[in-house]
Formats: sequence, C-alpha cells, structure tokens
Amino acid sequence: MAVCIAVIAKENYPLYIRSTPTENELKFHYMVHTSLDVVDEKISAMGKALVDQRELYLGLLYPTEDYKVYGYVTNSKVKFVMVVDSSNTALRDNEIRSMFRKLHNSYTDVMCNPFYNPGDRIQAFDNMVTSMMIQVC
Amino acid sequence: MAQCVQSVQELIPDSFVPCVAALCSDEAERLTRLNHLSFAELLKPFSRLTSEVHMRDPNNQLHVIKNLKIAVSNIVTQPPQPGAIRKLLNDVVSGSQPAEGLVANVITAGDYDLNISATTPWFESYRETFLQSMPALDHEFLNHYLACMLVASSSEAEPVEQFSKLSQEQHRIQHNSDYSYPKWFIPNTLKYYVLLHDVSAGDEQRAESIYEEMKQKYGTQGCYLLKINSRTSNRASDEQIPDPWSQYLQKNSIQNQESYEDGPCTITSNKNSDNNLLSLDGLDNEVKDGLPNNFRAHPLQLEQSSDPSNSIDGPDHLRSASSLHETKKGNTGIIHGACLTLTDHDRIRQFIQEFTFRGLLPHIEKTIRQLNDQLISRKGLSRSLFSATKKWFSGSKVPEKSINDLKNTSGLLYPPEAPELQIRKMADLCFLVQHYDLAYSCYHTAKKDFLNDQAMLYAAGALEMAAVSAFLQPGAPRPYPAHYMDTAIQTYRDICKNMVLAERCVLLSAELLKSQSKYSEAAALLIRLTSEDSDLRSALLLEQAAHCFINMKSPMVRKYAFHMILAGHRFSKAGQKKHALRCYCQAMQVYKGKGWSLAEDHINFTIGRQSYTLRQLDNAVSAFRHILINESKQSAAQQGAFLREYLYVYKNVSQLSPDGPLPQLPLPYINSSATRVFFGHDRRPADGEKQAATHVSLDQEYDSESSQQWRELEEQVVSVVNKGVIPSNFHPTQYCLNSYSDNSRFPLAVVEEPITVEVAFRNPLKVLLLLTDLSLLWKFHPKDFSGKDNEEVKQLVTSEPEMIGAEVISEFLINGEESKVARLKLFPHHIGELHILGVVYNLGTIQGSMTVDGIGALPGCHTGKYSLSMSVRGKQDLEIQGPRLNNTKEEKTSVKYGPDRRLDPIITEEMPLLEVFFIHFPTGLLCGEIRKAYVEFVNVSKCPLTGLKVVSKRPEFFTFGGNTAVLTPLSPSASENCSAYKTVVTDATSVCTALISSASSVDFGIGTGSQPEVIPVPLPDTVLLPGASVQLPMWLRGPDEEGVHEINFLFYYESVKKQPKIRHRILRHTAIICTSRSLNVRATVCRSNSLENEEGRGGNMLVFVDVENTNTSEAGVKEFHIVQVSSSSKHWKLQKSVNLSENKDTKLASREKGKFCFKAIRCEKEEAATQSSEKYTFADIIFGNEQIISSASPCADFFYRSLSSELKKPQAHLPVHTEKQSTEDAVRLIQKCSEVDLNIVILWKAYVVEDSKQLILEGQHHVILRTIGKEAFSYPQKQEPPEMELLKFFRPENITVSSRPSVEQLSSLIKTSLHYPESFNHPFHQKSPEALEIHGSFTWLGQTQYKLQLKSQEIHSLQLKACFVHTGVYNLGTPRVFAKLSDQVTVFETSQQNSMPALIIISNV
Repeated sequence: MAVCIAVIAKENYPLYIRSTPTENELKFHYMVHTSLDVVDEKISAMGKALVDQRELYLGLLYPTEDYKVYGYVTNSKVKFVMVVDSSNTALRDNEIRSMFRKLHNSYTDVMCNPFYNPGDRIQAFDNMVTSMMIQVC
Repeated sequence: MAQCVQSVQELIPDSFVPCVAALCSDEAERLTRLNHLSFAELLKPFSRLTSEVHMRDPNNQLHVIKNLKIAVSNIVTQPPQPGAIRKLLNDVVSGSQPAEGLVANVITAGDYDLNISATTPWFESYRETFLQSMPALDHEFLNHYLACMLVASSSEAEPVEQFSKLSQEQHRIQHNSDYSYPKWFIPNTLKYYVLLHDVSAGDEQRAESIYEEMKQKYGTQGCYLLKINSRTSNRASDEQIPDPWSQYLQKNSIQNQESYEDGPCTITSNKNSDNNLLSLDGLDNEVKDGLPNNFRAHPLQLEQSSDPSNSIDGPDHLRSASSLHETKKGNTGIIHGACLTLTDHDRIRQFIQEFTFRGLLPHIEKTIRQLNDQLISRKGLSRSLFSATKKWFSGSKVPEKSINDLKNTSGLLYPPEAPELQIRKMADLCFLVQHYDLAYSCYHTAKKDFLNDQAMLYAAGALEMAAVSAFLQPGAPRPYPAHYMDTAIQTYRDICKNMVLAERCVLLSAELLKSQSKYSEAAALLIRLTSEDSDLRSALLLEQAAHCFINMKSPMVRKYAFHMILAGHRFSKAGQKKHALRCYCQAMQVYKGKGWSLAEDHINFTIGRQSYTLRQLDNAVSAFRHILINESKQSAAQQGAFLREYLYVYKNVSQLSPDGPLPQLPLPYINSSATRVFFGHDRRPADGEKQAATHVSLDQEYDSESSQQWRELEEQVVSVVNKGVIPSNFHPTQYCLNSYSDNSRFPLAVVEEPITVEVAFRNPLKVLLLLTDLSLLWKFHPKDFSGKDNEEVKQLVTSEPEMIGAEVISEFLINGEESKVARLKLFPHHIGELHILGVVYNLGTIQGSMTVDGIGALPGCHTGKYSLSMSVRGKQDLEIQGPRLNNTKEEKTSVKYGPDRRLDPIITEEMPLLEVFFIHFPTGLLCGEIRKAYVEFVNVSKCPLTGLKVVSKRPEFFTFGGNTAVLTPLSPSASENCSAYKTVVTDATSVCTALISSASSVDFGIGTGSQPEVIPVPLPDTVLLPGASVQLPMWLRGPDEEGVHEINFLFYYESVKKQPKIRHRILRHTAIICTSRSLNVRATVCRSNSLENEEGRGGNMLVFVDVENTNTSEAGVKEFHIVQVSSSSKHWKLQKSVNLSENKDTKLASREKGKFCFKAIRCEKEEAATQSSEKYTFADIIFGNEQIISSASPCADFFYRSLSSELKKPQAHLPVHTEKQSTEDAVRLIQKCSEVDLNIVILWKAYVVEDSKQLILEGQHHVILRTIGKEAFSYPQKQEPPEMELLKFFRPENITVSSRPSVEQLSSLIKTSLHYPESFNHPFHQKSPEALEIHGSFTWLGQTQYKLQLKSQEIHSLQLKACFVHTGVYNLGTPRVFAKLSDQVTVFETSQQNSMPALIIISNV
C-alpha cells in the first residue's frame, strides 16, 4: 500500500502527485522532490551505453525513518516515485515492481488519450492510484 | 559542508591546545583592568608562537612544533553549565551573519543556477566556541591545565608573600577535594610566577628587586617580570594603537559585558550588586576565604534565576539577540589596551615565548618522558605476565568495575591515576604538541586496553583521537580510519548518551571527511546527529549537510534545498530568525517556478513570516504576495490564513508610511483588457406603456456583426447629411468601448454626462474577498473656458468633486474563484482631459465562520456592514495594452502594440441628448399587418436639438407618414379604436368599379435621395428645445417573412450650435418583432384577347389574384376579410372586378383560398404624359362599404417602401452585354413588350380572438407584377435548398443568351382577332338534306396574302373573304400570321391563332 504516488515530468515538475494522509501533503511533496536527486544520480550512474537495455525500475531510492521511497524511470525520462510506509513489510521488491508497471501502463493510457496535452497535469489517474493506495498487496 | 577559512590541518591543532591556568592577585588584576582586560585576555592575542619550537621526544628525537598556540585562562572552579553554553553558542551564531555585500558564488547544476554563499562563518564561530567551551572531562586530558601562572603585582605590599599565597591557593584547588572541577593534567603542575609591573605608576627599582628575589626563590626559568601600562590612559586618544583584542573578545562579549560597563572604577559597587548581577565573567573581585581570587565560577556560568532565556527555544530569544546587539554597540566604544604601547605588546609576546620555551615545553617534555618510562616499565612487567594472567585476573584487573557497572559500561570510571589512563595522558600530551605519530600509537594502544575493559567512553575517546591523529600524521600516513570515528560517534551517542562529545566527534569527522571530498559520508554523519534536544545544533548541522550535497561531484540540488529547509525550520525553532530566513531564501531558489507549488507556497509563507518578525516588511509583503497571486492549490482555509496574514503584514507596512503613495494590491486580479467604458446615462427601464429605446448599455454583449451594422447605418445617415459623401474625419460614434472597439483615438465624453467604467475582477482564491470604498482613480487636466493658453497645466488627482465626481461602491464582494465586474461612475463637471488611472479600494476579507455564499447564514451579521476583520487600502492600476500592430514591415517583424485610449476620454462641451420612447409598440404582428404606434422624442439636455433623422435597414417596416399625414390624429389616446387607415365611407353602388386617385412618390419621401433607409423625422418645427418632448405617430407593418425580426433603428441628431469635436450624436434602438403567417397572395396578369375595348386603345389585361389564408395558429386569428384590392401603377389601373359569381363574401377562414379576377386597363395617354413619371395612379376596388384611400398614409407609404426595396433587387442581375448590341436591343425591346408595371395592394382585415375579445387587425400585402403571364407572389416563396448538393467537377457552361427572341415572346407581340358573325344563313340551292355533308374545308377568296407594316400600338383591319359551299360548322382560324421585326430578316409565325378555333356556323335558310 503506497502512501504517496507521484508522476514527474522529464523537466522535473510534477505531473501528478497524490498522497493519502492529506494533511501531510507538504511533507510528501518535499520527500518526492528530494528523491529526484537520487533518481538523477541513478540514471547518470547507469552510463550511456546501457541506456537501451536498462532496467526501468530503480529500486529503493532512500529510506527515511517512517517511509521508503522507490523510483522508476520510463524511457522518456518520466519519473514515477512511490512512497511506502516502512512498517509495511509485506511489500517486497517484486510487488513494488508490479505496482510500478501498473502505473506505467496507466500512464501510457493517459498519453494515448488524444485530448491529453503532454506536459499538463494529469487528471484521469485517480481511480487507478486510489486502488493502488488502498489495495493491500 | 561549506568552505572554511581554516583547513583541517590548522583547525585541529588550534582546537586542541595546551591549557594554562592563570591565578592573579587582586592588585595584578587591577593593573590589567586599566586596559579593560583581564590578565588572560591580555595575553590572548599573543598566545600563538611566531617561531618554530623544538622539543625532544622520549626517543630523544628532535621534534618540530609549528605554530604552537597556548590557551591561558583564569581558573574557574565549576564546570560550565550546559544552559550557559547553549546561550553562548546561540549568541555566537546569531551574532555572525553573512556580510551584506557578500558575493555569492553561482553553482550551476542541471537547470538550476543557484546563488550560494560558500562560506558559513556562523558555523565556524559556532564550532570554535563549541570546542573551546568543552568542559574538561575525566576520560581525556586534552583540556586539562598543564601549568598555572601565578600573577602578582609589583605594587603590592608583600609581593613575595602574595606569590606564596597564590601558590597555596593553587595547590588547594588542585588537591583539595572541595574543588572537583578544574582538572589538572598531572599532580605536580608547573607553576610559573609572573610579576606584573605598572611602568607608569610603579617603582621600577622595586619591581626589579622583587624580581631578583623571585628568581632566587623560583629559579630564572620559573618566573617572569612583565612590564605593562607604559602610558597613562588619559593620553590614549592621541596615538593610534592597534587593538588586537577586539577580534578575540567580540564573540565572548556576552561574558564580559558587565565588567566592561562597570569599568575599573566601579569595582566596589560591583561587589555590592553582585547578587543580582550575572557573574558571567568570573572577574568580579570578590574576596573569598580571605583570598583575592576570582575563580568562583566558570565564565560561562549563569545564575538560573536571572536569565530566563536559558531555554534556547524560549520565545524571548529575540530579546537576548537584541541585548547582544546592544552589547556589541557598547563594546565598540571601549578601547582595549589603552594603557599599552607597542613596546608593551612586544613585551607580552616576549613573555609568552619565554613562558613556552622555558617553562611549558620543558615541563611537557619531562612529563612525556616520565609517562613513557612508566609505560615501558608497565609493559615490561606485563609483557610476560599479561597474556597469561589476563584471563585469570580479568575480574580483578579492573578494580572499580562492579557487576552493576558491567551493565552500564559507560559508567565505568578509572581512578585518576589509574595506569590505563597514563597512556591516554601521554597520547594527549603528544597530540597537544603535534607529535601525531606517537600520539596515534599511544591512542591505538589505549583503545585496545579500554575495549578490553569494556570502558566504552574511554574507548570512544581514544578511537576519536586515534582517528584524528592518524589523519594528521605527516609523511606517509595510514589510511584514514573512518570506522574509528563512526564507532566513536555511535558509542558517544548511543551508549554514553553524551551528545556533546558525539557532536564534537561529528564536527571533527565531518571536517576530516570534507577535506577528503567524501561529502556524501559527511552529510550522512551530520544528518545522523540532528536530534530533538538541540535545535541550534541540528540547524547548523543540517545546513552543513546541505552544503555537502551541493558540493558533491554531481551536485544534489534538491537534497540541498530540502536540507536547507529543514535547517531553516530548526533555525526558526532555535530563535535564529535571520538564519532561518536565509536558509529558506536559499532553498527557494531551487523550488521557485518548478511546479512544486505546495512546497513553494510553504516556503514563501515561511519567508513572509520570518521577514515580518525581522521587520523586513517589504520582503514579507512580496513573499505573501507570491502565495496569493500564483494559482494556488491550497485549501480554502489555508488561503484564508494566508490572506489574513498578508493583510496584517500589509497593514503594518502601510502604517509605517501613511503619507506614502498607495500600495499596489495584488488581489483580486483585474482583467484590464476586459475593461469597458460607457459614456452616457444608464438606460431607463420601461415606464408603463412607454418603452425606452434600447440604445447602448454595458449589459449588451459585444457582437461584431451588429456593431458593423450600426456602423453602416451611421455612415449612411452621415453621408446623407453631408450630401452623399462621408467626411474624411468621420469616425463612428462609440458609446461603449471594449476590447473590440477601435480605441486608438481619445474618446469623447460630454460634460455632465456620466462615464461608467466596468472593471473585471477575478478572485483567484477560494476565499471570499471584500472590497470596500471602491472607486476610480483619475487625473484631470481642466481646460480653461476662456481658451487662454494656460502654461501651467493643473494636475488634479482625485478628491476634487467640483471637477469630477466619482461614485464610490461601499461594498463589493467577490466569492472564491469568481469573476465579477464592478461598474464605477465618474461625473465630469468641467471640460478637459480625463485620465482614468486605476481603482482604489480597501481589500479585506470576512472573518471566521463566514460562509462563501454570503451573509444570509449569519443572523448577527445582517447589519449590512460586514464585520471587517482586516483591510488595507491600496490601488491597482488599469493598464490596457493596445492591439498588436501589424501594418508596416517593421511592425510585423517586431512585437509592437498600439495605444489604447479608452480610459483617457476628453470631456467636451454640452451636447443635446435625445431620449426616445415607444408607445404601444407591438411585439407580435401578422405578416403584413399594419399597426399604429407612437414615438416620443424627448430632449433631456440643456441644448436644443435639430436634424433628427432615423435610419434603418428595413425602411419597409415603419413609416412616420407622408406629407398627407397631417389629418391623422396626433395623440395616441384619440386613436384608440380607430383604424390605422384613412377611410371614406362609400355607397354600395360603386362596388365593382374602381375609384381612382393618384399620388406621387415624392410625397412619401421615396425616391428623393438614393438612400431610402434614411428617413427624416417630421419634427413639428425641426428643433427640439431643451426639455421638450414630441409624440409622433408611427405605423408599423409586419414583415412579410414569418419569424422573429430584429430591426435596428438609428436616430441621428445634431446640436444647433456646431461643435468641432462632436458633430452629431446617435441613439440606437433595436426592436424585436415576432411575425406570424397571415395571407399569401399570388397574382398573374394576362392579356385579354379582346381588341378595342370600350375604354379605347392600349389594350387591357386580366389580373388574377389568388389569396390564401396561410395562418396556422389555432387560436387567435379566426378569419380574414379582403376589404379592398388596389392597384398602383404608372401606366395601368384596375378597372373593375370581373368576378363571375356575385358572391361578395370575401371571407377566408383558415387554409381557405379565394380567387379574384380584375380587369386592368391602361391609363389615359394624356394623363400619363402630363404627369411626371413618378406619379402613380391608384385604383381601389372595394369589397366593403369603406374605401381605404390607398394613395394616402399609411397605405401608400408602405407600398412605396416595399416598392423601393423591391426595385433595388432586379437591377443587380441585369447584365449588360455590349456585343451584339443590335440584337440585344431588339430582344430587350421585345421583352419589354411583355412587361407591365402593375402593383396590386391587397388590404385585409383579420378577426382575431384574444382573451375572449374580438380584435380587428388590418393589414396589406403587395404584389408586384412585372411580366405578363408570370405568377408573382406577395412574398417570394421560400425555396428549400437541397440538403446537400452534389459537387460538380465540370465548369458550368455559360448560359448563352439567345440572340433570337423566343417564339413565345414574339408571338405575343402581335395580336390578331377575327371578327365574323357567329352564324350565317345562306339559301343554298341544293336543298336535299342528305346533301348536308360536313366538309372539312372552305375556300378563302380574293386576296389571301397581305404584307403590312404595323407601327407600335397600331391596329389594322383586313378583309378576308371566304366561300362556303355547304352548310356546316367551320373553323375560320386558319389564317397564319408571319411577322418579322422591321429591321430584321428572320420571319416567324405568330402562333396565337392556332390555339383558338374560330367557329362559324353556316346554315341553310
């Protein structure tokens, strides 16, 4: 169960960000924003040669006291960041990976929508994200 | 981690220096006091040795010590209080702010360009103070006193006695169990005897003699004569002496402030007030135990009761910061060392050198050697036994360790002289004298010992120092043992719970890591130490961590920003407002404009708050402004809080400068380009029957089509007024200026007429905004009436109601996320130039439980005035950007905007102002219905009005009556039950014949000009005086087409006085009429066959009129009665009705059709010739008993109007072919022969039931007949366009106009008729009935072929003879007529006769 899910554009501005404890929204925004540094680091560490066959899933970006932050980068450098409660030990790497894949799929759906203007904030994401936030994997 | 002034290699030796205590006699202290300095302070600037020092290590190797520094301090007997340290650190940090003009260096990382100050002096001074204020601890010896200076003055009575007293005192402090605190390195501390001598006051001889005595007693190496105060303090000002103390004392000023304020002369009073003074400095001269000593307390000790700001996070930190500030100011006034000359400085320097060389270093050397010897002996002893006995004696080896201590390992204590500590002692000594090799090996050994003993605190200390000394080793160093540090930190923090030591360790470790560019590790270390117990520390460490992130090889900008925010948060919790603000501002650079609005808002809000508390109001305002004006995604409550905060801050700003210009407010948004300006009064609502002209108002939406129509109408009327030409300076009158109108010229406004400005506000927030006292802001240049060139242009800005009156809206509410317009009025009372600058208002919001939808929910709030929580007065400018220019090449290639002058009207002199009201104006009509209404014209201005005209695109819709209208009743009341028509009662005899009258179209205003749309309004005496009103009748005719019609009237009028700026004014009206179907009239005309009618030559025609009731409405119209059919033509007239049936019932019920047949004849030739061609002859055929005079108003008016509108049409599609001119002419001639110009007017009455009342409506339809045999309609039938037309891909061939007239056309040119008796009796000889055969033929006799030339209209009779041989019925219609045009060759046959048999009966008599 994710606590916060964010989609961030290539230029590092948020396309979509949603968190469940809404009163702490600011905290999650900061957390997600800060994690972009690690994403950048991880991407640049991979090296140019491996770009083609690289793994989209970046794994754990960094842990904090209460949360774990996971990252995922599409080939077009759109970043998905997911914050997960540290106490939730049921979530393994594989579950996180599949959640990201799901997120990626629905992002692709959004992109396929001819009425979506690339770069705008994403509106039509809520259902899927809600399911991912509630769903106890 | 930020760059530091000192490198690590300098920092660590400077942080760990040999400590020397100073114990002064009263008198000695008094001497140094003259310089506003204590003895320790006096030495401070000179405590660093300028030359290298040599020392021998235990192996007798020469060891060079560079830049050795010693720390001399007064003895204090109590360990520093943590609260006091915290306060000191706090003050140090807040006292160190970034320099104003500090040039920040720019770091570019990715797409970020950040201005970051590379140095953090506050951190460095914090660190320095922190390390200096470390209390001496048992497990390490680095800051234990190595030596003690005993200072006495030469002026004392018994200096030698004093020395021994001091010596005893020192001994007592060190060895008496009363004093646990000042820690001493080794039991027999080095004592160094210093005799202070005041050169200016004391007796030199005496001093020398005492010194001699001392030398004898303590040896030359153990004593020193220091001569100071070479000059008296009152001569201080004439010589500039460098003040080396200031930089050292500044940061410690808090401890010294009391003493500085008191100065040396108030020492006595100091004693008395000691209880309530903070004994911060430890310099108070209090005689304790009969000894002149001042070591009562550590300099950092505070009396808890006297300073509540011990709690670092307390609210009154600002105060302490400000008190620090004051102290600083106070400090600058005090000159340190005023009694010291440069020679004195040198003497002090010399003294330190001497002390170090002769006293301290030999002492250290000796101690190290002793310790080394001990160590070796111990090792020698243990070497054999150690390993064997270790296991056996492990319990007894550590004597003090009990079972309990094992559990709490940090509590393990060695006795001060325990052998385990000796090695640590030696290590520390070596470390202090920079012998890092030896220090490392000692630390390493000590570490092992301590770890074996599970003495964690000791072990951690040894680990820490081992790591540092390993790092500092010269030559080929070992790899830096980072794990030592990590273990040490962990031990300190987790096991020993000693945050101070952990912090020191982290500071050192981070610095070491930084010097090796291991920023990420350093950051992790720093972040790990942040905790809840000290905000200041956490803040500083977080900030350093942030700097680590940005200094990485690939800078981590966002981490930097995030940690900066965390640091800022901590700073603000620690009361370090300025630092907090700085941190937030730095972080802002990363977040700004990147779409992370929530974070951005948060930062801006915090910046706003911090700036406000720091009284940086402008910054606060701009930060709050940011939150509000950017499209905020905050919740409504949050926005409300922001807004209130903003208003509060703003209020404070404006209170600071009440006389300054009004501030620009950011809210609500103003959509400047949507600003509309309207000149003139508001439209009056309909008043009973009276309905005011719609004119122009702000309520109307802009419609480019209709505005174009109005413009065309105005152009038409102006061109008529100016005799057909539109003046070059003509511009259409604009009453309402908006973004679509042409605003390139200054608009004209008339004095005393209001100017309404509509401002479009938008509230971007989710909370309600309340604007109060909203009004326009303007500037006015009055124009002198006398026309004198007034050089001095008066500029008036607002509050001059005799020039311009301004309307004030007292309350204007805008709900959350609402767009709303405000209409603000100005009343110009003077002519001149007006400039509307903007709006001024109080911005406020409604407090608390205010619901968004207004006041209704709150019972207490119903007073009409909202309880304003807070409001600020401010303005917003209205700046309208003109349209982009795109005419010249230059304008096309660059982006240029034209001016927009809609807000800069010129106020001109008075002009007449017309108001128009319509009375009994219908909204629904039948097609063709005639209704009479009245128009009232009122001149509401103070100027007479003239030249009233009305122009409309649909002149056939209405008429004011022609010149014959005089007879009609003028007032509406008189005409209540009157027909709209002028009628004459007739007798029934003249039913079938036509009554003839004639009228000229000139009488009805048609055909005078080329513009039938422009109709002058027949004002009684062409001028409407001020205040006068005129009512005129007006007839309306329902348009022929069914549906809703919008008919535009434009009234044009002028002033009697010619004015240069405004020539005319206009008034618009749009009437909306809904028409429903009534009658459909079709008519055809055909030639009558009879020649030679009774009226004479010229021929006559038959007119067939079909009238169909097409009204479909169930209710309402019951039936139509055709009351009269009139003809109107220049050449023809109806003669009589030739209805076969005598049925005079002309009723037409729904969907009924009636057919009428009339005979029409040509008017008398002479009649037509004498009159002008414009004269029409009207002939009326009446079906009732009333004749409607069709040649009078309004029937003729509408007839002419319909005619004129009809006439305009065909002209367009008659192409003139220039080639084949002759044949064309002929064809046209022939065509013309079949043309007539007969117009039929059908007048009807409709019986309508409306609200169970029967009404009679009247109306008329026109049919224009042009061609013989062609059906004409009262209204052209709608041709349903095919839904979709097939695309044709070939070029439509040109329809060749036949050069030959068609046979049909030609055949109608010649009319033939046979005149013969219908039956003829002839006595045939043959009488036999059987002979009565029917023969098909007869024989024409005589001349059977004639060739004739007929002139136009000529009748020629020919005689034909026929011979019949039998009785019978014969068709005589066999002659054929061939004709050709006289100038043409082609012959054609007229076909008329073929169609009609002419039968003759020949019978036998």
